[in-house]
Amino acid sequence: MNPYMSHDARILEVKDLTPREKLFTLRFVDPEVGANFSFRPGQFVIVDVRGFGEFPISLCSSPTRKGYLQLCIRKAGRMTKFIHGMKEGDIIGIRGPYGNGFPMERMEGSNLILVAGGLGMAPLRSVLWYAIDTGKYGHVHLFYGTKAYEDILFRDEVIHLLKHGEAMNCSVKLAYEVESPSCIYLERGFSDRVCRGVVTDLFRGEEFNVNNTYALICGPPVMYRFVIRELLDRRLSPGRIYMTLERRMRCGVGKCGHCIVGTSVSIKYICQDGPVFTYWDALSTRGLI
Amino acid sequence: MRYIKLPSENFGKFFNSLREWGRVYGPVKKGKVYSFQEVGDPAEMALDYNRTMLPPKKFFVGPRETILRLKNGHWEEETNVEPTVLFGLHSCDIHGLKILDGVYLNEPVDPYYLRRREATLIVGISCMPDEYCFCKSLGTHFAMDGFDLFLHELPDGWLVRIGSVRGHEIAWRHGELFEEVTDEDLANFREFEERRANSFRRELPQGGLADMLDLAYNSPVWKKYAEICLGCGNCNMVCPTCRCYEVCDRWTDAYGAVRERRYDSCFMENHGLVAGGHNFRPTRLDRFRHRYYCKSYFDPSAGYNCVGCGRCDEFCPAKIEHVGVLEEVRGSLQ
Ligand SMILES: Cc1cc2nc3c(=O)[nH]c(=O)nc-3n(C[C@H](O)[C@H](O)[C@H](O)COP(=O)(O)OP(=O)(O)OC[C@H]3O[C@@H](n4cnc5c(N)ncnc54)[C@H](O)[C@@H]3O)c2cc1C
Ligand code: SF4
Ligand code: SF4
Ligand code: FES
Repeated sequence: MNPYMSHDARILEVKDLTPREKLFTLRFVDPEVGANFSFRPGQFVIVDVRGFGEFPISLCSSPTRKGYLQLCIRKAGRMTKFIHGMKEGDIIGIRGPYGNGFPMERMEGSNLILVAGGLGMAPLRSVLWYAIDTGKYGHVHLFYGTKAYEDILFRDEVIHLLKHGEAMNCSVKLAYEVESPSCIYLERGFSDRVCRGVVTDLFRGEEFNVNNTYALICGPPVMYRFVIRELLDRRLSPGRIYMTLERRMRCGVGKCGHCIVGTSVSIKYICQDGPVFTYWDALSTRGLI
Repeated sequence: MRYIKLPSENFGKFFNSLREWGRVYGPVKKGKVYSFQEVGDPAEMALDYNRTMLPPKKFFVGPRETILRLKNGHWEEETNVEPTVLFGLHSCDIHGLKILDGVYLNEPVDPYYLRRREATLIVGISCMPDEYCFCKSLGTHFAMDGFDLFLHELPDGWLVRIGSVRGHEIAWRHGELFEEVTDEDLANFREFEERRANSFRRELPQGGLADMLDLAYNSPVWKKYAEICLGCGNCNMVCPTCRCYEVCDRWTDAYGAVRERRYDSCFMENHGLVAGGHNFRPTRLDRFRHRYYCKSYFDPSAGYNCVGCGRCDEFCPAKIEHVGVLEEVRGSLQ
């Protein structure tokens, strides 16, 4: 079996999420490949646009919802621009899933705090739906920080949970940076849960039971330090703070060397040892965050 | 291990017998440097070479190679490999290949590497260190496995260590070329190894090295050298254990494309660049330090990512010396 060979997947649907991000719903052409494809939230695949190249993308659908995969892809450069031009029915290649993913079994029974910044919402959406669908977790908090109303990924779902989340044991808090009528409207309706500011502002006044809580973070590199400080201030153990990290990746399977970080005492491959790490890993491996 | 003796007068015949196995590549002098080239006659080889510029990794992961070929919208695997004999590998290079094995033969197995590894016969040869070698301090100056045959120089021939079934079969098929090893041969072998062990001029004391380096993360020594370094990436290209590769697709005509991989270097600015222009190692200092940390990482099952071959020193245009940097960084702690 050649690990660099991708499987054909058909684009079932392309949906605009924001001006920059599209949601691609895919299904493997070979039903056997589809049936054998299982993953856990936090894992990623390598998308192969044949003749143009490959790039890593997190799975943003939940493994509880079978028969399809979803990828939320931001137009960031050459290849992602190319895939943004693709249509329903087109074929792309998918290989994976890769990486360790979040330890969903270990966290069963605990409360989850999902902290998403921008595109970081993509992998955390997989956790969110997994937790809601399985019902095996305590309370699920989603703290989500975005630039503007237009940038809220999965806006319908987020607003739905903002309104009706309690029935699903889930609460949502939203921070935005750029003011707009829609945001002000949201803020009026949910003054305790929507505010202008950055994602760390959502922690104000929040306390949680640190012995029964895990935090899962995903966002731009600058966000980690600030969010982690909020969590440590509340005495959450570094071993209960999970974060998913990004690096340039070529192979996804520990060969190409691009994602290596660390020093003489600890080296990690983000593609295989991660992309999910604990804050303890970051303390013991320099350069991780 | 099995030991046999190849008398000097049979060397030519032995060499020719290897050509039945596959194309033979050995160390050849080109201008001032040595390189592994195809050889038809043993006289073309420089068996007393110090080191080749590119290590033997070029036979297993090429500087640039096609891995997939696009036909009618589908990838086809590139599978052609030729039986090859690598003649005259030094022990450090054999250790270098073992480190690459640990990467490429680990699950998921890289099929290109595996096929070439299987199709390649490795014949090692004993050597004398020059001013750049420090393999002895890393324990890579003697190979116990990772070869099919290993030739040790004797005054009147070669003491051959047989390292694999394949090596045994070759020696067996040409049994008339070999003799049993005598006590005198063994004494000569020991004498050579002793002389060799005493010839090392460069040493890398490893005691607590990894921890020291980690503690010295902010040492000004990194900065000093990062300023001298040209960022050319030569040290990566010539290193037998450096293996970063970049991948890109290239159209060959309107209907077909190939996916190629080629050597990459962590000294290149875009090595740590991700979407949106964020760079995880933006400065020369970050990149310089990263290479030293990567090479000095100690894997309990595979050892260091450096085998002490001295290539990075010999081929560094800025004359930066690997051991010198490590020792200075360690010294900066005290
Ligand atoms: C584990 C992981 C999960 C990711 N999940 C998502 C996701 O869910 N949604 C999303 O939109 N993006 C995600 N990304 C980022 C995405 O891979 C990059 O945006 C994409 O590779 C950019 O490619 P490009 O050719 O369009 O960009 P360009 O800027 O044109 O890229 C130039 C080159 O750099 C490479 N490159 C740039 N950034 C990265 C990167 N971060 N990783 C690997 N190679 C890179 C490209 O492949 C390309 O060859 C993820 C990255 C990682 C590592
Ligand atoms: S780091 Fe230098 S001395 Fe060590 S294996 Fe690589 S090229 Fe040889
Ligand atoms: S070969 Fe020398 S100058 Fe070039 S990148 Fe390596 S250390 Fe720097
Ligand atoms: S992506 Fe190639 S080693 Fe991690």
